[in-house]
Amino acid sequence: MAEEFQITDEMRAQIGKESEPWTYEVTTTSVRMYARGIGSDNPIHYDVDLAKAQGFRSIVAPAGYIGTPVFVPGTNDPTFGFPRRSGGARLNVPTKGLLDGGTETEYFDVICAGDVLEETSHLADIKTRDGAMGKMVFVTNESVYKNKDTGKVVAKQKLTSIHF
Amino acid sequence: MAEQVYFEDIEVGAEIPQLKKNCSTQQLVLWAAGSGDFYQIHYDKDFAQKTGLPGLIVHGALKNAFLGQLLHDWAGENGQVRKFGCAYRGMDDPNQDILCRGVVTKKYQESGKNLVELDVWTEKPDGKKTSPGTALVALPSKS
Repeated sequence: MAEEFQITDEMRAQIGKESEPWTYEVTTTSVRMYARGIGSDNPIHYDVDLAKAQGFRSIVAPAGYIGTPVFVPGTNDPTFGFPRRSGGARLNVPTKGLLDGGTETEYFDVICAGDVLEETSHLADIKTRDGAMGKMVFVTNESVYKNKDTGKVVAKQKLTSIHF
Repeated sequence: MAEQVYFEDIEVGAEIPQLKKNCSTQQLVLWAAGSGDFYQIHYDKDFAQKTGLPGLIVHGALKNAFLGQLLHDWAGENGQVRKFGCAYRGMDDPNQDILCRGVVTKKYQESGKNLVELDVWTEKPDGKKTSPGTALVALPSKS
């Protein structure tokens, strides 16, 4: 299906176009749940008093966890949880198969329980490559997370999906 | 937790302590709850097989998070994971060992920070790398 797909100037022009912002919450419960999800027993993700004694605001989010998007029934995807919002790039990439291609996370500050983040997303890159399954389309979206209280960018995360 | 590691102790080419994982299907459900990713190929075998997979597979993002844990626990209380990521090149099965590994490729000082670059990856029991990636970690100095 992706065989006839061509990247057009119109698609390239959408690179960098920002989505509407969305709120992501980091709570003591969500940090502990994520830490259990990776099977970590590091008390820095569980014990608030210990985290504070080490100089953190509260328990520290495990690497890779940048909060949970606020869920609005009918708006967020029921399987993946991400918000389907307006703004941002709109690509019509034909997809028979879809694979998660990779993740890259960059931190500018420590994220702790109690943080409320504002996330915006944009198309960062689109490219095609010929692989074992024929032509594959690599779509990379980048999310930028700001702390709502300080306005400071705390993390950026790139997610690549592979359409074939 | 392990003792604090310092910038001075790190040598290029050295491997950091490995982290061995082995995901039960319960672990995959715990991850679904923690991450918010409830895609059925990770807990519903019939669904997974209907999509053409041989069975349940481990989430790519979970392997990425395992590498995050490897780095976070190595960097310790006074170190910081600045950047890390990996590509998902191969699938991993539940109830099979996933070895998380990292090797130092570069160390340097920049803007008063002591930085270490690493190659990181997850590995199947036969040695095949399923999630190759890189990382940048800031470590404390003894001085």
